[in-house]
Amino acid sequence: MTQPASDISTTVSLGYDGHAPLFRAPEKIRTVFIVTLVAACLPLAGGILFFGYRAAWVAAIAIASCAVFERFYFRVTHTPALLGRSHAYLTGMLLALTLPPFTPWWVVVMAAAFAIIVGKAIFGGVGHFLWQPALLGRFAVAVIVPILASLGIDANLTPDQWPLLAPQHMLLGDIGDVQPMRPGEIYRGWQDHDLPEDDDGWAVPLPTQTLRPLTVATVDVEPAFSSLAAVREHIDHRKPAALTQLPPVGDMLLGARPGGIGETCAVVIVVAGLYLIYRNYVKWGLPLCFLLAAAAVAAVAPVRVDVGGERSVSWPIIAEGLDVGLAYATYQVLSGAVLLGAFFLATEMTSRPVLGGAQMLFGAGAGATAMLLKLYTTLPIPTYVAILIWNTLTPTIDMVWRPRVYGQRHVLRFRRKQH
Amino acid sequence: MHVMFHRYGQFAGGIDLPDENASTIDQPIGMVDSVATLRVPLAPCGTAGASPVVDVGTNVQCGERLAAAPGPGGVDIFAPAAGRVAALTTAVVRHGRDLLACPAIELTDIHGGCGMGAAREVRDWRTVSSNTIRQQLAEGQIATSRPRPEPLIRWVQRAVATACQDLIVNAMENQPYITADHRLLVEYGPQVMQGLAILALACEARQVFLAVDARRTRDYASLVEPAIQYSVNRVALPHKYPIGADPILIKVLTRREVPLGGRPTDIGAAVIDASTCLAAYRWVACGQRLTGRVVTVNGDGVARPGNVFVPFGTSCHDLLGETDAPCVLGGPMTGRQVDGDAVVSPACESVLAVTPTPHAPPSQCIRCGWCRDHCPVRLNVAMLNDMYELGDVAQAEHLGVTACVGCGVCSYVCPARLPLTDRVRRLAGTVRHHRRSMPLLSDMAPSPAAEADR
Ligand code: SF4
Ligand code: SF4
Repeated sequence: MTQPASDISTTVSLGYDGHAPLFRAPEKIRTVFIVTLVAACLPLAGGILFFGYRAAWVAAIAIASCAVFERFYFRVTHTPALLGRSHAYLTGMLLALTLPPFTPWWVVVMAAAFAIIVGKAIFGGVGHFLWQPALLGRFAVAVIVPILASLGIDANLTPDQWPLLAPQHMLLGDIGDVQPMRPGEIYRGWQDHDLPEDDDGWAVPLPTQTLRPLTVATVDVEPAFSSLAAVREHIDHRKPAALTQLPPVGDMLLGARPGGIGETCAVVIVVAGLYLIYRNYVKWGLPLCFLLAAAAVAAVAPVRVDVGGERSVSWPIIAEGLDVGLAYATYQVLSGAVLLGAFFLATEMTSRPVLGGAQMLFGAGAGATAMLLKLYTTLPIPTYVAILIWNTLTPTIDMVWRPRVYGQRHVLRFRRKQH
Repeated sequence: MHVMFHRYGQFAGGIDLPDENASTIDQPIGMVDSVATLRVPLAPCGTAGASPVVDVGTNVQCGERLAAAPGPGGVDIFAPAAGRVAALTTAVVRHGRDLLACPAIELTDIHGGCGMGAAREVRDWRTVSSNTIRQQLAEGQIATSRPRPEPLIRWVQRAVATACQDLIVNAMENQPYITADHRLLVEYGPQVMQGLAILALACEARQVFLAVDARRTRDYASLVEPAIQYSVNRVALPHKYPIGADPILIKVLTRREVPLGGRPTDIGAAVIDASTCLAAYRWVACGQRLTGRVVTVNGDGVARPGNVFVPFGTSCHDLLGETDAPCVLGGPMTGRQVDGDAVVSPACESVLAVTPTPHAPPSQCIRCGWCRDHCPVRLNVAMLNDMYELGDVAQAEHLGVTACVGCGVCSYVCPARLPLTDRVRRLAGTVRHHRRSMPLLSDMAPSPAAEADR
C-alpha cells in the first residue's frame, strides 16, 4: 500500500472568490441617474413652455454650476464617491425644477454650491448624504435671500405676484416683461384672460397664496371667499365667483399657473413619475402614500370659514360635502410642489428608506407634514421643508423597520395553510 | 387521465434570467471523448483524502476500489475507467462556492470507461425493508450530487433521525445553460423514479415530490407512469430564479421555512437531485458503482456543447477544448471560476466556458434597495453590506444573515456592482464559525453544528 506524500494528503480550501455571479444585470448607477435626469427633463420642458427661455437659462446655470462645483471639490479632495458626474447633473436639474423662473443667476449658483458642497460632498457623496442635496440648496437660498434682501441686495424669491406667459408668447416670451394684476382685476384663466398689450404675460398670485387665508389666521387678508361652496361654483361654471384668483382645474393640471419651474405641470410630472416607477427606480408606494396622505390631510384639516361675520373652523370634507371637499383637496394638492416632491424629490434613493414598507411610511409622513406646513405656516417652500425633515428621520426608520427574514421566528404566530 | 404535473405558487423576490440552453436541451446524453489521463479526487466530500489502496503502477479495472474512506464523512473511491495508476497527485474540485485542492490518484493508459451502459436489474429492492436498503446504500459509498456533496448514507441517516416528512427531488435547474438533470429525466425517467422510490424507502419519507420546470413538463411523459406507481407527487413550478435553491423550494412546496442557520432536515424536508436518485438506483438495483456523472458542457466557444457522461477526474480543459472564456464549475450564478485543470467531481453539474459580464469596479451603495427587493429570503442586503464594511458581525447575525441561500441575485442586480453575495457569505461564514466555536452563546440555532448544505 502506498502512503501518499504528506504535502498532498490533506484537503485544502482555496477560499472564495468574488466573481460569482458571472452575470450582472445591465443597470448601472450611471443608467439610474441619467434616466432619472431624462425623466426630469419633462417637467422642465413644461416649465420652459410656460415661463419661457428664462427657465431654460436657470436650468442651464444650475446644471453647469453643480457639475463645476463637484469637479472642483473632487479635484481638491479626491473623494472617490464623487467620481462620475451624472448625479451632479441630476442634482442641478432637480434644483432648477424647484427654483422660480425669475431667479437671478447668482442665486442659482449659490444654491448649486450649497447643494453640491454642503448637501452632498461633505457627507461623502452619493450613498452617504442625509438630505436630498437639491432641496438643501433650495432651502439655503430660501433662507439666505431674504437676509440679503434686508441688507439691501435686490433679490426676491417670494414676490406677491408670479409671472406666467400668455398663450401667444409661450416658450419665447420674457417673464421679465409681464403685466401685474390691477387691484380688483379678475383672473379668468390662462385661455380666457384678456391678452396683455405689449406684454408677454401676466403676474398673478400663486394659487398657494390665494388659498392660504383659508387656513392661516396670521395672514392679514380677508379670505377671498366666504365659503368653500364658492369653489364648487367656480369649478362648475369655470366662471370667476368669489374665488377669483384661482385658475381653473384644467390649467392646474396642464401647468398653466405660476410657480417654480418644474412644479406646475401636474400631468407631465405624473407621466414622468410613472415612467420611473415602470423602470423600478421609484417604488410605487412612496409617491402614492405621499399624495394620499397630503390629500387626506387637506381633506380633513380645519379651515377658517367666514359665515355671517363669525369665524369658525370646520372639516372641509364634512362641512361642505364630498364634491366640494374633494375639489378643495385637489386644489391643495395640485398647487405648490406636492407632486414634484412626491415623484422626484422624496424618491431620491440615498435619502429615503431602503425597504418598501418603510418607504410608504416615509412617504405618508412627508406628505402629511408637507400639507400641514402648507396649510398652517407661511413658509415659502413647505413641501421641501417637509421632505428635509423626513430625510433626517430616514436612518432611524431604516434601523427600526425590519421585516421578518425567512426562517426567523414570527413575532405574531400566524399559521399558513399547509399543503 | 392523471394530471401529469401539479402547479404550485411562487415566492417573493427573485429574477428572470436568460435561458441560454437551446444548444443542449434537446440533445441526447453523449459520451466524453477518450481522455489520456484522469485525476480522480479522493475527497469529493470535502473531508481528508481517502487512503489509497492501490500501488502506483498497478493496472485497475473499471469500478475497482482505489481508496478507502477516511471516516464516516467521506466515501470510498472507485476507478472511473480501466487504466494504470500513474501517480499520487492533487486535483482541484468544487465544494459549494469553495474550491478544494484535494489528494487525487492519476490514472493513465485509459482504455474503456465505465459509461452509463444499459444496466440490468440484478437485485430486487421492492420487497426488502428500509434497513436493508440503508445497508446497501452504506455499502454503495455513493456521494450525493449536491453542490456540497456528502455520503448519501449520511444524508439518509439525517433524514431518518429527523423523521423526514417530505422527500423532494430538486430538478428545477433554473440557472442559465444547465440541462443535465433535465436530460436525465427525459432519457432515464423511469430509473430516476425507481431511485427516488429507493431513497424514499430508505428515508421512510411520507410524501415524495418531484419538482420540475413548468415549461419542460411535456418532455417527461415517460416518467409519469412509474411516478404514479411509486406515488411521487409531480410538481411543475414557474421558472423564476432562484426557485431551485433548497430553502426556497421547500418554502414554495410546503410553506415551511428552514430555520436560521439550520438545514432542510430540521423542518422534516430532505432535498436531493435526479443524479443522486439515478446513482442510488444503479447501485441498489443494478450493482453498478458511482464513477461519473452527467455534466452539461456549454458556453462561449465550446466546440461541442451538450450533456455528456463524464468519469470523475476528467479535467475541465479536456471537456471544453480550446476556448478563451474562463472555465466555470457549476452554474453561472452560483458556480466557481477555475483554471482549466480543475476536475469533475460529484459536485459539478456543469462545466461552462462563460465570459463574465464586464463591469466597472464596485462603487459605493446608492441605497436603491433592489438587492433587498429581489432577495428570495428578504434579507436587507444593503444594510448587511454596511455591516460588512463596519465589521459588525453581531448586528449582521441579528439581521438574519445565515438565512442567505447564496443565490447571487443581490450581486446580479446591484447597480453599484458591489460583490454583495460574497460579502454576505463571508458574514454568514463568520457567524457560523462563532456559533460552532461558542455554542453556549448561540441562542437561536436549532442545530448549531450545522454547516447548512449551501
Ligand atoms: S443575500 Fe443571499 S439569498 Fe439574498 S439575494 Fe443575496 S445571495 Fe441571494
Ligand atoms: S443593490 Fe447595491 S446599490 Fe442598491 S441598495 Fe443594494 S447594495 Fe446598495
